[in-house]
Amino acid sequence: MSTDPIPRRSFFEQMVGGLYGASLAYLLGRDLYGDEAQHAAPVFDLRPKPPPHEPRAKAVIHLFMNGGPSQMDLFDPKPLLDKLHGTQHYEKIAGEIENLKDAGAIMRSPFKFAQHGQSGMWVSDAMPQLARQVDEIAFIRSMHTTNLTHEPAIYLIQSGKMGPGRPALGSWVIYGLGSESQNLPAYVVLDDPLGLPINGIENWQAGFLPPLYQGTRFRSTGSPVLNLRPDVERPGEIVAFERDLLSRLDQAHKVRRPGQPRLEARIASYELAARMQLAATDALDLSQETQATQEAYGINKPPTESYGRRCLIARRLIERGVRFVQLYINAQIWDNHTGLATDLKAACDRTDQPIAALLDDLKQRGLMDDTLVIWGGEFGRLPIAQLPPDKDEKKAGRDHNKNAFTTWMAGAGIKAGTVHGATDELGFAAVENKVSVPDWHATILHLLGLSHEELYLEQNGLKERLTGVSPARVVTEILA
Amino acid sequence: MRDGRLIWHSAAESKRGLNREKPRCLRWLYAGVALVCCCSILQSGSRAAPPARDASDLPNAAQEAPPTFDRDIRPILAAKCLKCHGETGRKGDLDLRTAAGIAKGGESGSIVEPGNPDESLLYEKVHDGSMPPDKKDRLSETDVAMIRRWIEAGAATDGESADSPAPTVGEHDVLPILLRRCAVCHGASQREAGLDLRSRAGLLRGGKSGPAIVPGQPEESLLIQRIRSAEMPPIKELIEVSIKPIEPAEIETIAAWIARGAPEANEEPDVATTIPDPAVTDQERDFWSFRPPVAAATLVVRQTNRVRNPVDAFILAKLEERGLTLAPEADRSTLHRRLCFDLTGLPPEPAQIEAFLADTKPDAYERLVERLLDSPRYGERWGRHWLDLAGYADSEGKREQDLPRPSAYRYRDYVIRAFNDDKPYDRFLLEQIAGDELADYEHAPEITPELYDNLVATGFLRMAPDPTWYNLTNFVPDRVDVIADEIDVLGSSVMGLTMKCARCHSHKFDPLPHRDYYRLVAVFKGAFDEYDWMKSTWNNGLSHGPRSDRDLPYVTTAERRQWESHNAALQKAIEALQVPLDELAATLTKQYQAQRIEKLPAELREDVRAMLAEPADKRTPVQQYLAEKFEKSLTIDRAELANLDADFKKRGDEASQAIASMQGKKLPEPRIRALWDRGDPSPTYIYRRGDYLTPARLVGPGVPSVLTDGKTPLDVRPPWPGAKSTGRRLAFARWLTQPDQPLTSRVMVNRIWKHHFGTGLVKTLDNFGKTGTPPTHPELLDYLATQFTARGWSIKAMHRLLVTSATYRQSSVVTLEASRIDPDNAFVSRMPLQRLSAEQLYDALLLVSGRLDETRFGPADAVDVRADGLATPRGTERGWRRGIYISQQRKVVVTHFENFDFPAMNPNCGERRDSTVTLQALHLWNNGVVQQLADSFAGRIEREAAASTSRQIERIYLTAFGRTPNDDEVQVAEDALVRLTGKWLASAPGAAPPDRAAAAHQALVTLCHAILNSAEFLYVD
Repeated sequence: MSTDPIPRRSFFEQMVGGLYGASLAYLLGRDLYGDEAQHAAPVFDLRPKPPPHEPRAKAVIHLFMNGGPSQMDLFDPKPLLDKLHGTQHYEKIAGEIENLKDAGAIMRSPFKFAQHGQSGMWVSDAMPQLARQVDEIAFIRSMHTTNLTHEPAIYLIQSGKMGPGRPALGSWVIYGLGSESQNLPAYVVLDDPLGLPINGIENWQAGFLPPLYQGTRFRSTGSPVLNLRPDVERPGEIVAFERDLLSRLDQAHKVRRPGQPRLEARIASYELAARMQLAATDALDLSQETQATQEAYGINKPPTESYGRRCLIARRLIERGVRFVQLYINAQIWDNHTGLATDLKAACDRTDQPIAALLDDLKQRGLMDDTLVIWGGEFGRLPIAQLPPDKDEKKAGRDHNKNAFTTWMAGAGIKAGTVHGATDELGFAAVENKVSVPDWHATILHLLGLSHEELYLEQNGLKERLTGVSPARVVTEILA
Repeated sequence: MRDGRLIWHSAAESKRGLNREKPRCLRWLYAGVALVCCCSILQSGSRAAPPARDASDLPNAAQEAPPTFDRDIRPILAAKCLKCHGETGRKGDLDLRTAAGIAKGGESGSIVEPGNPDESLLYEKVHDGSMPPDKKDRLSETDVAMIRRWIEAGAATDGESADSPAPTVGEHDVLPILLRRCAVCHGASQREAGLDLRSRAGLLRGGKSGPAIVPGQPEESLLIQRIRSAEMPPIKELIEVSIKPIEPAEIETIAAWIARGAPEANEEPDVATTIPDPAVTDQERDFWSFRPPVAAATLVVRQTNRVRNPVDAFILAKLEERGLTLAPEADRSTLHRRLCFDLTGLPPEPAQIEAFLADTKPDAYERLVERLLDSPRYGERWGRHWLDLAGYADSEGKREQDLPRPSAYRYRDYVIRAFNDDKPYDRFLLEQIAGDELADYEHAPEITPELYDNLVATGFLRMAPDPTWYNLTNFVPDRVDVIADEIDVLGSSVMGLTMKCARCHSHKFDPLPHRDYYRLVAVFKGAFDEYDWMKSTWNNGLSHGPRSDRDLPYVTTAERRQWESHNAALQKAIEALQVPLDELAATLTKQYQAQRIEKLPAELREDVRAMLAEPADKRTPVQQYLAEKFEKSLTIDRAELANLDADFKKRGDEASQAIASMQGKKLPEPRIRALWDRGDPSPTYIYRRGDYLTPARLVGPGVPSVLTDGKTPLDVRPPWPGAKSTGRRLAFARWLTQPDQPLTSRVMVNRIWKHHFGTGLVKTLDNFGKTGTPPTHPELLDYLATQFTARGWSIKAMHRLLVTSATYRQSSVVTLEASRIDPDNAFVSRMPLQRLSAEQLYDALLLVSGRLDETRFGPADAVDVRADGLATPRGTERGWRRGIYISQQRKVVVTHFENFDFPAMNPNCGERRDSTVTLQALHLWNNGVVQQLADSFAGRIEREAAASTSRQIERIYLTAFGRTPNDDEVQVAEDALVRLTGKWLASAPGAAPPDRAAAAHQALVTLCHAILNSAEFLYVD
């Protein structure tokens, strides 16, 4: 199989008039959801829809850094921390500390900052590879959120509300834009084989949108989708015969029931299932990549092997028309309550090279022009130390901080090499050009040609939006 | 450069910040400042009034002369706003008739910030066009600009002074602060230092160090001293009780109140009185769903021969108006399958089908209905609909560690039994909303099944996702979210109202004032008190482990005795092993001790023996000396004894093992997850914008005014003499279950209709308000609602009425005419083709393959998760139990259920989705369990129809589709079996001798697998 980039839309265009036209015409025209009683209701389908505004990006890779990466140790240098190192401070911010009993003094960063690239962007020596890429990136240093505990903060950044039950960002995106691949899901989640992130499968739920818009988990090893391969392998000839038999049964059933389009949809869903089996397996076949590419992503060695695979798969999915790809890391590698110097470095070591390689690769293949790459967690960390039970300062970490964190975006529509917003002298709170989570959501939708105000589902007279009832503002300052 | 919108946004954001972060006291300060400004402007305005000038004198006169209230503003308000914010209505708690009313503001706080239109709600609303709500009433651009300039110029109100006194700090500014910062340790449940800080009286009474406050002398008051010295609240311990540190402004508010002499507020909680309610108009009460249902006369139709009961007349009348009629009656096999799936959730068994088809008596169908309603499977099907409404789950949710709710299953079982027993719906609701207030369980001599049911039923409002067992997700807002979810469950499932919309402000579309939401909150305050919270800690299943605060021990006396005797028997057996072992140990110890004493010098032996015989505290100094010297070496513990004596070790080890195993068989104390009133609830304040930091008016318990005449208070009284309970929920539940309550019966019959006919008469099952859809057949809906109450709220009576109608017995075939005139089947011109629900499909797969274990009730079955995430229910010895008995954890959803639209309960599900997605096809086609069931299905067919392949094919059709195959179908299947057998033979490993029987079985398995994957299996006509 060729490794040439596959032009978008081609799959869709082939399908409409092609082999599966008869049944797909229904699928694409109406949906895979709903039934005859849905005429008046909004149409739910995955047909590609032109966005209401000129889009800058057509696809998204969301590198979700669950756990809360420390802004003042990676992207937001605070020289004052060196000066005030060891000063007691917790009483002034007591209401903003999760584990008050462990609160220590102000703590300087164990990492060294330097300026990089043409833009002179500050990045610490924990991320040497990303430092090479700063001229591709816009940093938002003034992010803030509303809760300092993981679960609510993750629900908020993933779905706009501090609790379960609402559609994820990716679900809203494919609800608004549809799919450009008819063989692969529009919203793919690449979770870590080592385990699910906090909030588990709720991270990619479709909430009150139909399940059609839910993220589909792709495993990066083994069978990519649950039940994609049979648990019990049977001879191909027999499978083919049964498929044919089933098709005859279902056709006969359908013919006796005219005017039931959902029966067409069901037959088509079996056909799609068969094709997804091929397409997903192909997309995840990294042996099609050159040795050099594999090495660039670090998939030949620990500790980059696992995340490198997911980054490379993300690129292959984007090439094949997947709209929204979301990458996770198991557990909480960024949640450095203790051992900041070692554990934060370890987290960087797992991800730094793969992410830098992904940016390089997207650029080389011309995919950066219509792909948006997003990096960030659910909150940031405090300028004071969090001490382990034995109060050993060498093993100190930092506690959660809802008032300041840094995220970055790169690629389509982004004004590369910029820094937006600022925190106070200690890095405790965003103070200048503050960016809320709804602002951040609005910006991502805007880049895709959507509008956070116009993308909604009406329920009981209420227009449900990703940004809810909070006012939100597109961060135009980081747009190219 | 920022554009106008951005400026607007930043203003809105800062306002949001203000409301979110500033407690009530600060707002008071702001309000005070605002008023002072207002007054000074008034004064300066009157003193330095510019001489009257003709506007033509200056070209910019319009800009320069500030608008005046009487001349420019009052007429605008009078023309556009007073309809709702004046004489007859007081929407949003706002009165725009007078300057005082404007200064007072509404439910969202102040509406005018003098000098700052962008922070003024009044301007925001008329500017963004959200007010007035009716488009044709909107203000002209000139009027909007006028209001802007008026506010910019200071919002002077001319000669009229704001006649409300300047706000001062009062008791109700202080109590909420004490509630949220202090009451957890000095309140209802805990009285550290004997101190109760929840009331003025409690403050004056004080604790062991004396009164907490000295009126008039804040700095002399212990309360202020302890807070100012940072001794209290103890900052580093706050997290243990989920409290945030007290804010400096809050301290100043308390101090200011004490300085004023700590005056008592003479404010009674706001409840409905006999005075008409200004917040809701009679016109609003006239909306169709807020009027009691009235039984309409049965309609006259032409085709009387199609009318089996009054339901058909209502349906036919609408159809005939459109030139349509009912579809022909479906054939008996189809009806049988439809009815079985509908009433019991399972397909008919071959023997039942044959019996039904052979029953030629005229009432065969009616008797079938009775049989199915009597089946215990009925409750497992219809109970599931109710569990969706309750948001049933076996785990807490909202946190990474998804703690199990080990006794939630009792509620599930209660619901199944209630449906099977046809418990009247009014009683069903009474028990679920106020079961704890129906009878005194604490002093009952015996916990009867009825008392037990009362308590278990209250689990209905204990189902919401709940993270509050954990300190860091147990702050007041987390608790308020849980309460809001429970109110949402109640509102959506039982009342058909979007109550939750009134949590932050008055409902935008329905006449549900903000106040009514908090009156409802007050109804539940005795059980849900965010300032005296019962954590959902976890009973880990060990008898001595941590336990939920929300558990009660009142299982039936019978169950308790059974549990006691179970554990007592084990304890007895344990002792039977333990006692002889202990005796042996004592004997051996003595022996070995004696031997050791013998090794001591002879002259010491007697003294040492005497010393050992004497208790340690009675020994003489000599004996004490001896003890110090020898006692240790003469003491032999169990471990040493085991080392000394191999035989004892062997016996000891055996006994320990047996004892440990018996200890493991002991059962934890049976407990109930319940909701109960503890009396003495905290006051209920309206939370402005839903935020607990901005408490507004004090309210008392009440029901939505629009569902009453607006002048009848809720009759709250203690449920029995001397009861601790407030009786609020019981009063509410009794009101809710009055036969003429407009919504209760309508909402329920509409749900029953929906589950039989696929779509509700009111399509929006959870929303009977203005944004819901009006009923397609209003007279039918009211007929059913009145029948429901007239027949004693019997749900089974409703089933009988509906499923015996000709409407239900229609065929699902869509004619060209019907699809043209009634494309959405809104007029029920046919039965809909319905897809099986996740549980129906799962249960049917098990039943047809002979693997269904019909053991009912009890703890939920575990779910196993494979490394790749595939979640499969753990089987029993006999197979698998019905889906309703599988553990419903929020973070581990059985893959089959997830794929077939089993809902996530956030907090509940009023109507399931019905999707057709590729993952369903992948699941049925490739899943190992489905393969295994196909094999079992084939095995069953081979056992039941050994004679010939044609008999086998007939049996497959009868079992899976509920009908016999036609000749063509038999032909196709026979042909498939022959060819499949050949293919399986050919595919066998080369060396093995051909096994025709095995290949024939494999062929049958393949056919069965195709049948289980077929559309006919998945859909019901």
